[in-house]
Amino acid sequence: MDQFDEMLRRRAKEEPFPLPEDYAGRVFQTCAALEETRPRKRSPYRWTAWAAAALALCIAVPNVSPAAAAALEDVPVLGAIVRVVTFRNYVYDDGFHSADVSVPELAGSQAAQVVNDQVQTWTDRLMEQFQQLCADMGESYGDLTVTNSVVTDSDTWFTLRVDAVETQASGYQFSRFYHIDKATDQVVTLKDLFREDADWSAVLTREVRRQMEERMAADSGASYFPEELTEIGPDQNFYFNESGELVLVFDEYTVVPGSMGMPEFAIPAEVYETLRK
Amino acid sequence: MFKPQEVLDKEAFCTQVIACQETMFRTAKAILRQDQDAEDAVQEAICTAFASRDSLRDVQRFKPWILRILTNKCYDLCRKRRPTVDLDEVSDRLSSEGLDHDQRMTLWQAVLSLSDDLRVTVTLFYYEGLSVREIGQVLGISEAAVKTRLSRGRARLRLLLEEK
Repeated sequence: MDQFDEMLRRRAKEEPFPLPEDYAGRVFQTCAALEETRPRKRSPYRWTAWAAAALALCIAVPNVSPAAAAALEDVPVLGAIVRVVTFRNYVYDDGFHSADVSVPELAGSQAAQVVNDQVQTWTDRLMEQFQQLCADMGESYGDLTVTNSVVTDSDTWFTLRVDAVETQASGYQFSRFYHIDKATDQVVTLKDLFREDADWSAVLTREVRRQMEERMAADSGASYFPEELTEIGPDQNFYFNESGELVLVFDEYTVVPGSMGMPEFAIPAEVYETLRK
Repeated sequence: MFKPQEVLDKEAFCTQVIACQETMFRTAKAILRQDQDAEDAVQEAICTAFASRDSLRDVQRFKPWILRILTNKCYDLCRKRRPTVDLDEVSDRLSSEGLDHDQRMTLWQAVLSLSDDLRVTVTLFYYEGLSVREIGQVLGISEAAVKTRLSRGRARLRLLLEEK
């Protein structure tokens, strides 16, 4: 910092700044008029404790009959038939803490079973964390909701999306995408799309940062934190949209403020096509 | 996964706002130039910030967080009142340039005579002590852009302040 810089800082600190006469009063009045709202209304009754409640997790009935599932097995196709055959719903509510967790189960291939195990491990961990957190929270409110959807189900590709929303005083949304290459019956992550010697991570990171800057330049209301995106990892969430574009999806709060939700970036094929397997 | 995040209650929120009130006014004024517009923007920003205070991840970062909301409000107001901007600029330029030769120009007068994009950047850096990175986040621009604006702003201030 040179002398001129120091002089600017000193003068900024020392020189009186003219505030309007009634400004402080207006700020105070604005603050006084703010209406405090609670994030959730208290339920009229509550159960006793999480320990008992954890045992009360219930499993909903399968939504596809075994007969229908068996019939599907007879359809001759190339590659694996992957499908969601059932959902297991875990529901809990003690008046303060509630959970509604829908865990899908896939069938039709070995890769489907691998995905089942991964989804189960992930949702089990979410529920354990949630129970622990609720035990720590006491009579504060908390909620966990897990839903899922099939993003892609083509002749060659299957993508399952599992969304989770954790709510304390505020919500936190995050997702996991699971992909199956039906032709090879393999579970696929982002790194599997690219050649081993390709520097795909740096290329995608650069492109996402570029798109962030572009969006902020085009819309002053948009806010991204490109500097917080240090590296796109091998398990980065992604899917292929209807146009066949690779879309990268980021969890809430990771590269944007919470108000921006879960941002998505469609990566033009020309950015990465030379890096593909 | 489950972020242990405290949401500010009204009292804590207001305490933070009061502590930042001069910063907020100065930032709004740097963008909007007019006292009344700056006060309106601050008022709107307080209400919006309170309604979305759950998006504040770390209370230590309250100042850059609310400044980001405030600057968005200011730019919204700029868009609404765009036809009058040129007249305001002329008015402010005249007030800062109408000093007697023996009267020393204050830093704030010099800052107000800077162009739109330089004023707020210089204000956040020298008056509010924000880092280049924080300014980038508040204004939604890259750190490189912040540095460029600071460099240009500094050069212009040197001309203005050293010639007086």
